[in-house]
Amino acid sequence: MKHNSRQTNKISLWTLFWTFFKTGLFTFGGGYAMISLLDEELVSKKKWITSQDMLDMLVIAESTPGVIAVNTATGVGFRLRGVAGAIVATAGVVLPSFVIITALSFFIQAFENNTWYKAAFTGVQACVTVLVINAFVKMFRQLERGWFSALLVAGAFIVALFTDFNVIFLIIIGGVLGIAYSFAADAVAKRKNKALPLKDSERLDDSSDEQRSEHDPENDGGDK
Amino acid sequence: MIYLVLFWEYFKVGLFTIGGGYAMLPLVTQIITKRGWMTEQQLIQFIGIAESTPGPFAINLATFVGNTVGSATKLGVFGGILGSLTATVAVILPSIVIIIVVTLLYDKFRTNKYVQGLLKGIKPVVVGLILSSVFTVAANVVLPDLDFKNIAADGANTFNWISLILIIAFIPLSQLRIKGKKLHPICMILVSAVMGILLFGVFNLQS
Repeated sequence: MKHNSRQTNKISLWTLFWTFFKTGLFTFGGGYAMISLLDEELVSKKKWITSQDMLDMLVIAESTPGVIAVNTATGVGFRLRGVAGAIVATAGVVLPSFVIITALSFFIQAFENNTWYKAAFTGVQACVTVLVINAFVKMFRQLERGWFSALLVAGAFIVALFTDFNVIFLIIIGGVLGIAYSFAADAVAKRKNKALPLKDSERLDDSSDEQRSEHDPENDGGDK
Repeated sequence: MIYLVLFWEYFKVGLFTIGGGYAMLPLVTQIITKRGWMTEQQLIQFIGIAESTPGPFAINLATFVGNTVGSATKLGVFGGILGSLTATVAVILPSIVIIIVVTLLYDKFRTNKYVQGLLKGIKPVVVGLILSSVFTVAANVVLPDLDFKNIAADGANTFNWISLILIIAFIPLSQLRIKGKKLHPICMILVSAVMGILLFGVFNLQS
């Protein structure tokens, strides 16, 4: 956000809308496909934001609820033109989908029972299965390793597959357990630090598995 | 009022799923089957369409579900458009609010203990949910009679072995790299549609 000062003139809401409309129109697939497109357009060509801003925004988009593409559009729009910018950019990115799919939906409903349509989509279904498998593999690889993650993956998988338990509750339970785990891990680390006469190098070792301490060493110092 | 229900359900989808389109799938599947809005089969077909039309995948999905629900009302075409609008607005609304707040509090957000803990727990759950989607989608395609919630012998009544072969064949295809780039999903979907027309339409296998 510090970098905002480098923009000398304000970007008009219309330009913002149009830029995101084009992005929505030319993105196929999910948010990740859109991010490379936005990077090219906003960072390299238009220089509206820096690549550091872009990276920050990606972190936010990935770790907050919602559609990643929408999160990114809202984030960029908000940084450039406040709340109005957020709404305009989001409307722009969503509009092409909205128009195309609405038109297509009526077409689909008309053709659903056509023999050739059915044949084609029996093939497409097999392909979709592979796309879902790939989405799983990609997200699994990004996961932090450890028994805690493994337990939650297995638990969520079994409950979701074999029971009608509400998926939202599973997500909430996961969040609560995650907080509990983080605090427990912190407490254990702190006790270890107290028990052993502190050596700086050891202390770093103990907490190296927590991302938090990498980001703000001063907070870690304040804890003791 | 069906539109209120649609709004509420999709608002929850937007609010509770971290990780984008495919992370939303388990929740959307649960909603459509619980409400009887469409079959899993229809949803899986549409995933293929959503991947090969412009726009973010998750928005395409929301628009389509909304349209299907709205079209079933007395309002017809207009109802379909209203349904699309309802679902799409509902799914993006939480994002707009959350992103604005988080952008303002970014530095605190990134280092906050609770937020980090929350993500540590939610991310693996979402991955587990997607894994369950892998199984439901695969079962729907290969063993359509199988119900994981009520496993019985007649689940194996229909076995679409050609679909299974296609899935196995598509896995290496999806990993194929041409000049360092992976094959785009659209190419795969087109190939699979042509294969479908040939195998199931022209040669009439597996019917």
